[in-house]
Amino acid sequence: MATVNRDNVEEVKTDDGSPKIKPRPIVRLGIFLIAHSPIFSVVFSAAGVLALLLLPLLAKNTYISENALMPGSARSMLSNQDVSDGSKLVNDIKNCRLNHEGQGVEVQKLIGKYMSDMGAEVSYQKFHPEGNQFHPLHFFSGPDSYTLLENVSCASYGVNVAGIIRAPRGDGKESIVLVTPYDFINGGDYESLSLGIVSSLFSLLSRVTWLSKDIIWLVADSRYGDYRPVAAWLNEYHSPSFKVSELLKCDELNTADNFRRAGTMAAALVLKVDGRSERFEDTLSIYAEASNGQMPNLDLINVVNYLAVHRQGFYVKVEKVVSLLSSSWLKIFGEIFEAVGKLAHTLNPDWNFGIPAADYLEGSATLASSLYSQALGIPTGPHGAFRDYQVDAITLKVSPRFPPDSKTRQHDFFLRGARLLEGTIRSVNNLLEKFHQSFFLYMLTSPSKFISVGVYMIAFALLVAPLPMVAASLYIDGCKALTNSTHNSAGNFKSWKWLDAAKQVFALHLLGFIVTLLPYFICQVPGQHSPRNRSIMWGTTSSSLLLITFVTIPGCSLFSSRPHGTNWAVLKSVTIAAAFIGLCLMSIINFATAEIGALLLVPTCLMAQPIKPALRSRRVKSLLGAFCSLVLVTIGFPVIFFAISKGLLGEGLGGLSLGGEFWIWLESLWAWKSATYLYIGMVHLPCWLLCLCILFHPS
Amino acid sequence: MAEEETYMFWIWAMASTIFRLFLIFFFPENINLSSRPELSTPLTSLRRLAEGYWLKQASLSPYAESMFHGSPLLLSILGPLTIQRIEGKSSHHLCSLVFVIADILSALLLRATGQKLQKAFRLNLKRLGLLTSLHDRGILPCGDIAALVYLWNPFTILSCVGSSTSPIENLAVIVSLYGAVTRRVPLAAFGLIMAIHLSLYSATLAIPLIFLLGYGLDAPPIKKFLQTRHAGVETTGSTSDVSKQDKLTQTTQLFSWRTVLHFVFWVLVWSSCVLVLCSLSLKQYGGLEEMFKRTNGFILRIEDLSPNIGVFWYFFAEVFDFSRNYLLIVFNLYILLTGIPPLAFRLKHRPCFLAFAYLAFSSILKSYPSVGDAALYLSLRALFVNELTDMEHSCFIFCGYIGFSLLSPVMHNIWIWRGTGNANFYFGNAMGYACFQFMFVEKSVNAMLNHDQALKKATAEMFKNSAITAIF
Repeated sequence: MATVNRDNVEEVKTDDGSPKIKPRPIVRLGIFLIAHSPIFSVVFSAAGVLALLLLPLLAKNTYISENALMPGSARSMLSNQDVSDGSKLVNDIKNCRLNHEGQGVEVQKLIGKYMSDMGAEVSYQKFHPEGNQFHPLHFFSGPDSYTLLENVSCASYGVNVAGIIRAPRGDGKESIVLVTPYDFINGGDYESLSLGIVSSLFSLLSRVTWLSKDIIWLVADSRYGDYRPVAAWLNEYHSPSFKVSELLKCDELNTADNFRRAGTMAAALVLKVDGRSERFEDTLSIYAEASNGQMPNLDLINVVNYLAVHRQGFYVKVEKVVSLLSSSWLKIFGEIFEAVGKLAHTLNPDWNFGIPAADYLEGSATLASSLYSQALGIPTGPHGAFRDYQVDAITLKVSPRFPPDSKTRQHDFFLRGARLLEGTIRSVNNLLEKFHQSFFLYMLTSPSKFISVGVYMIAFALLVAPLPMVAASLYIDGCKALTNSTHNSAGNFKSWKWLDAAKQVFALHLLGFIVTLLPYFICQVPGQHSPRNRSIMWGTTSSSLLLITFVTIPGCSLFSSRPHGTNWAVLKSVTIAAAFIGLCLMSIINFATAEIGALLLVPTCLMAQPIKPALRSRRVKSLLGAFCSLVLVTIGFPVIFFAISKGLLGEGLGGLSLGGEFWIWLESLWAWKSATYLYIGMVHLPCWLLCLCILFHPS
Repeated sequence: MAEEETYMFWIWAMASTIFRLFLIFFFPENINLSSRPELSTPLTSLRRLAEGYWLKQASLSPYAESMFHGSPLLLSILGPLTIQRIEGKSSHHLCSLVFVIADILSALLLRATGQKLQKAFRLNLKRLGLLTSLHDRGILPCGDIAALVYLWNPFTILSCVGSSTSPIENLAVIVSLYGAVTRRVPLAAFGLIMAIHLSLYSATLAIPLIFLLGYGLDAPPIKKFLQTRHAGVETTGSTSDVSKQDKLTQTTQLFSWRTVLHFVFWVLVWSSCVLVLCSLSLKQYGGLEEMFKRTNGFILRIEDLSPNIGVFWYFFAEVFDFSRNYLLIVFNLYILLTGIPPLAFRLKHRPCFLAFAYLAFSSILKSYPSVGDAALYLSLRALFVNELTDMEHSCFIFCGYIGFSLLSPVMHNIWIWRGTGNANFYFGNAMGYACFQFMFVEKSVNAMLNHDQALKKATAEMFKNSAITAIF
């Protein structure tokens, strides 16, 4: 942008007739780009979209970057005795639950007893499942902002059990965490298998001599969801509250003063067992996305993937969008890329970038899922809670291929699962410092293929590159037009003509900010309201605020017929500059949101033009342009885009229920402190409104 | 018209005060603005000041343990306020109220300064004979604009709400400028001494203040214009304009040594006052020597390498110990030699603008800059809206300022909290910000020189026309 803007002034100077100095090549390049900005903006945007489609092709194989990890170099020490310990625990839990009908904390006590028998320090923690409360400024604050609710009742609470094995070679300052979410009331048979696996491992780890980091096994009470108990435990671990909680008196289990800690966490693994595998092998799914598109270090995934594939023979997969696998247009792209790759290979045998169309389909379905869950900013599992404390964590979901009551298979399954975890822990145990060697910013296209930040940023950069170019060229045009129209009056303020437009842009961004905060106040409205009513409230307040803005701020009026308002070209230029800043900021906070946002916002901003002259001229080209910009602006409205994406996913929606759905979706966003919500309210919505202003500009 | 404008000014000023009070009392506590590196530096942090006060209460030196590095006088004034609580509110609220008052005072003084400058601008145009009715209407009330820019600048609001002492530092600078512009010499000297006492870099202001008191307010370089006129007179051989020339010669003032000596005298008086007070307050804790070592020495030696929006912390975190002293000398001399003399030579006819240029320059190359410094020079820049109407790249620089100031907390977050970035990200942002500041200063100075050039051209043209009419 620096060169581009520098150049436009350079150009103006030469227009004024001052002595012409031949500008430097880079300046001339800038002038050339700005002068032909329409062509280049089309070329760059198309290249950006193409680069996005090419990403699965550009994925590299993962490799273990940190040498100290050495996965799989030691022989597994897990014995059959350990595994039968695990099986015994599973059986005991089953019996205990049959006896107690899911009442009280008997199961927790049983697990605690097993842990202390193995030589671990046991602690219990009671927590309260917090409701989703929206506070507008929690987005910016750290994770330690959970407030203690004043009136906690004993009606709903959960109890976590944590056991800690002290490392014989460690100093108690570092730890590795194993988490098994388990619903103590109505957990299924499969769920208890995860307890069995970790119990087998725990039994081994209590004997080994090589541990240099303490091992924490957290059995999280998942009756109120997986995430909340883990987050509550982490909150207590990192920022203890010194208030005596009311929950302590709820039952006979005394949890006061026995919370145990074990130093900073090097890594965390969440293990879940669910449902039967559809494939012939046992399946291991890896979930890694934490809040706001943060990922754990790639090395952690690599270690697990390496051990699971090469040592324990699991079938490893990551989430993918299944509907894309059967999409025909993607298949066509894949075939084209395959053909091009083959052609290139025949031309030069060193060029091996082609991949089979089926691989391309798989890759792009996985990439789409990766993009989607990062853009949403909602963690895909309990591991998300760890990322708030900068701990690298992943969730491993194992699906065995046998029914839960098969004893012989279960033994083998425990052995392999525990060996996988043992290998991973042994690798992490070797680390002398935090994970830092490998990537934090990446997207997966398969468990063993990734796209690093340096590659996927190219697609985004190409997509937003037209924005500064078009802004500069429009700025020059608009200034010229303004100078012509106001030539006779005081020709002051040559370079401050953008101030009027900036005022308008600022006013609408302020409006966006207020609209973003409104749900907080709507949630404070007394009485029970359905999401639909709340969304209607929100909609009406926002639109009345918008009307007030249009009426009170003279530059903003949509439908005024004042001939000498702000010039639309300058307005569009400032709008585009604002969109550019917003998108660039968002690309650093959460790349995936920025990418999807740019796909929507860039064409809308570039195409927006007053439709009045187009209607007046009645030329096919300008009418087509006006139609395109109208369509783009319609799609760009967040609610409509939401409806369209819902429709694409096959869930028909219409009318007022749409508002309710939208509200629920937004509620989930702000419950997870997703920056996507802020992006929609403070970047997308104002820019969309500004595009609307330009569209109906009275020029 | 004018009445309506003042009316609007007061409304906006009141609104900004209310906005500040609202933010102080209703801003969520967990955001904790006072710990942002952009707002509070080791020198201006109120938290550190409170710590220093506690140390002093405990009969320890307030400078113990390298926590507090501010002025002992400020400690005596603000310190008691940091432990007073309004019921149910946290302790920084009283101090924040002091900062709000400081901000309002600064704005009012800026407004008065601006009105003086506006008058001078109009007078100069009249003297040169360039003032037409059209121009007269086009002169903006720069005082009001500067005051409002100061009050509504997000940087000012944030540093006021975010418990940093920079509003008081800014007030001292503005007091000194106001004193010099209204020729209240003791006030100017007081402001200068307080500003130097609070932050060392304000010492550069001595030069513009001396120019201001010696030569008078900002004016185009009339002497040079006269030379070109003389040349013009000789070639055309006309003497009809003699009377007008005489008037102009009379108006060009000579350097008035008396006022400057008066100023120097008051500077000495005030500095001895400040030193005596400081030594009294630090009597048991090592006295003045300790103070200079811990405040000015701390500034010059760049001891605290925690990240800030400046460009030095990163560099000095990387250098080898044996070259540290050498580089310290190089960097401090760089500020002293490259920034100050050239600007003083080039802009000595515009001392107020020179003050702006120095403040902006020092806020870029300071060892511990904060956005409060940027707030000060941006509002001083607004005093010259009339002169700097056609600054180049204004839109671009504006976007750059917004972009980089929004990017800074994001970069800090991904470095410190997420752990996905590193120090280079934040430092890169600081470099970009510094670049834009440099560009801003450079373009402003350029625009000012162009303005003088344009005035010169216009007078020469006018004189040529009048000479031609005189011949015929």
